[in-house]
Amino acid sequence: MSKRYAFFLTILFCGFLAVFFAANLISPDRDFSQDENRYLSQKPELDASDFALKLPLDESGDFFTGKFMSDFESYLTDQFVFRDEWIAAKAMAERLAGKGENNGVYLCDKDTLIPRFDRPDSTKVTNNLDYVNKLVENVDVPVYFSLIPGKVSVWADRLPEGAPNASEGDILTQAQTTTQAHWVDIASAMEAHKDEDIYYRLDHHWTSLGAYYGYAALMEVMGLEVTPLSDYEKTTVSTDFNGTTYSSSGVRWMAPDSIDIYVPEEGITVTAWNGTQPEAGVLYDWSKLEVKDKYSFFLGGNKPLAVVKGQNTAGPKLLVIRDSYSDSLAPFLTADFSEVHLFDPRYNKTPVSQYVAENGIDQVLVLYSVSNFVSDGNLFILSK
Amino acid sequence: MVFSSLLFLFTYLPIVLLIYYLSPLKWRNGVLLIFNLIFYGWGEPVYIVIMFASIAIDYTHGMLVDKCKKKGNDRGARMAVASSVIFNLALLFFFKYWDFLAGSLAALGLHFMPVLGVSLPIGISFYTFQTMSYTIDVYRGDARVQRNIISFGTFVTLFPQLIAGPIIKYKDLGEQLDHRDHTAERFASGVEIFVIGLAKKVLLANNLGQFWDAYKVLPTSELTVLGAWLGVVAFSLQLYFDFSGYSDMAIGLGRMLGFEFLKNFDYPYISRSITEFWRRWHISLGSWFREYVYIPMGGNRVSRGRLCFNLLVVWGITGIWHGASWNFLLWGLYFGVLLMVEKLWLKKWIDRWPRVLQHIYTLFLVLVSWAIFAVEDFGQLGGYLSAMFGLSGAGLADGAFGYYLGSYGPSLLAACVASTPLMASLWRRLPKRAEQVLLPVVLLAGLLLCTAYLVDATYNPFLYFRF
Repeated sequence: MSKRYAFFLTILFCGFLAVFFAANLISPDRDFSQDENRYLSQKPELDASDFALKLPLDESGDFFTGKFMSDFESYLTDQFVFRDEWIAAKAMAERLAGKGENNGVYLCDKDTLIPRFDRPDSTKVTNNLDYVNKLVENVDVPVYFSLIPGKVSVWADRLPEGAPNASEGDILTQAQTTTQAHWVDIASAMEAHKDEDIYYRLDHHWTSLGAYYGYAALMEVMGLEVTPLSDYEKTTVSTDFNGTTYSSSGVRWMAPDSIDIYVPEEGITVTAWNGTQPEAGVLYDWSKLEVKDKYSFFLGGNKPLAVVKGQNTAGPKLLVIRDSYSDSLAPFLTADFSEVHLFDPRYNKTPVSQYVAENGIDQVLVLYSVSNFVSDGNLFILSK
Repeated sequence: MVFSSLLFLFTYLPIVLLIYYLSPLKWRNGVLLIFNLIFYGWGEPVYIVIMFASIAIDYTHGMLVDKCKKKGNDRGARMAVASSVIFNLALLFFFKYWDFLAGSLAALGLHFMPVLGVSLPIGISFYTFQTMSYTIDVYRGDARVQRNIISFGTFVTLFPQLIAGPIIKYKDLGEQLDHRDHTAERFASGVEIFVIGLAKKVLLANNLGQFWDAYKVLPTSELTVLGAWLGVVAFSLQLYFDFSGYSDMAIGLGRMLGFEFLKNFDYPYISRSITEFWRRWHISLGSWFREYVYIPMGGNRVSRGRLCFNLLVVWGITGIWHGASWNFLLWGLYFGVLLMVEKLWLKKWIDRWPRVLQHIYTLFLVLVSWAIFAVEDFGQLGGYLSAMFGLSGAGLADGAFGYYLGSYGPSLLAACVASTPLMASLWRRLPKRAEQVLLPVVLLAGLLLCTAYLVDATYNPFLYFRF
């Protein structure tokens, strides 16, 4: 190696480090990443209390527990210059290296991204099913129960050959056989329509169309009238939806999804509770179509409690123990119910039996996606 | 702090290099000492105290050994060496083995040692071994005593090899502490090795680690024969690229700072016997044990029975050095027995085998050893080994195996090729001109790719936290 060439390599390497060192120093920090749909870590601050030294050590200040250091590393990683581009480049590199997945998301046929379904904790599943049964015992009104399968089972034919996933079918069978509630078989309805766009390709939720088939299956079991799909007019409200699986996968080369609605918002009123006071809500939050998390267009995103009232004032009152899948289902339910109460146990700890009694609820529906149901830790509220 | 992190690459390293090279020669050890302590303290600020204690105590012991020797007081010198060895072993025992021993005794119903729950100071297995070598080398006359406490502190805490080796014997580094050359050639060759090491860790090891992680959690009933073997192949490649990548980075960083460390890995997976494997795998550890334990116990020049005893003791210690858990002891003894059998009978016979058979023999035994190494729980280990030998009842292969093979096939293939000298020898055959043009391109591409993988750091484990 000649001296000149050695200098050249040295400068190349040091230059590479220096350029990014300097760029990270001067580039402004971001609060939120649209692409990843999450708040980014901010620069941790040190003050005198962080240098407090106590025994046992984990009661010391952030400096001595090392929390400051790990916060600083997250900050550096989250605010790294051109972060979004690096992530996209890594996903592309994985693809080129022949990988069938990136960050726990399978890269599938038909421009579809499917999150891997890992083996659930079986105790949690059994407990959650027990809570639903307790609810059936605790209330005097009929309780309906259904779990919505994910793309991972309904669109399994789009997965890479042999891609390992735990079985959602096993969970569904277990739920159906052990539940004392009226079971609604949404899975078969989804399966029957699997060639239609019933899920977003780049988001984990079902589309409005998928929600409609879920609605139809529910009404049949409840013995209520099913409004035919042909009665609705489909309106496309967005053609630029990059959902949650897009965010976590790092994959940036697939075409975005469209969001459709079927039920017009006229004549529907929504009351939402974020705290103890009711406030006016909306069935569709049009401002959310401008942000990354466009699924929150439906009902404006997760709320502890939302009550949707439609024009069918003679219909019964339904309480839905919900996850976010119910937000795109609620518009359809307004045809058959006078009030739809959407109750989210993650943010609402009112005992359900008490809520049913106080609000004159006629029917209760426990509706979760399989993946949320097996991992949720808040369902104990059903047994109260 | 670990090398394969954005913090190290784009904050710590540029600052260290800048300040180090702006400082006059005689300050450089001092500058390095301060940065070493920052490097070490970043993860565990409180444990810096151990560093100060190690520096002070081993420095004093070195001086003591030297003083006694000069006075012809061999007994005193020996006492000083013994005292320093006891201090270092006590340190290692307390932090690494106390809870293990207490837990094991408690399992037998003996509760006289409380479980303390102390966290293991990172790199303690490496630096205690290094400081032990110092007093021993001084006693044996292999190295001169270090009178400058800053230079000595720099040796104890030297960040490139502080937390994952190579384990440097003082006699190999002593001179360099006070006289080393800082040339562009050395720096540039350091860059080359560093980037190769970084790519080994970030691109190969992390990738294959995910493969292994998918397999090691499977219940035995779902472990197919081919799946279990491929899983352990993935682990063996992960461990090799992780560890040798780390050593390469250490050697590269050392050169950037003017130091020359000895090679730690020499394509271990091309070995044709277990004896050869251990001359190529973690060379610095093997040679440490040979020089400071095995040879002082009499080495090879003893009776057969004594030889067997020596081998088992050395390999039992080597095993447990890798982590305070019974499976590591078993793993060490497994090699102890194999080496004993090779030394006494088998080696002469193996040497006459066809090469292919020698490779199959070695790789088979090494892969089995990695299963023992990787699966800590004996119940699970039994399950995993039985799956490897077709006793799990899950069949030869399943759909998931096909998926993993397809998905990780290219990485596995690349890793297999990279674990042989093939690429290096092809590279050497390149015309000089082509090499000069290609090298910066390859280095830059490697750096860019590694950065992308580190920014999207969902998987970047540090494997030596047990060491």
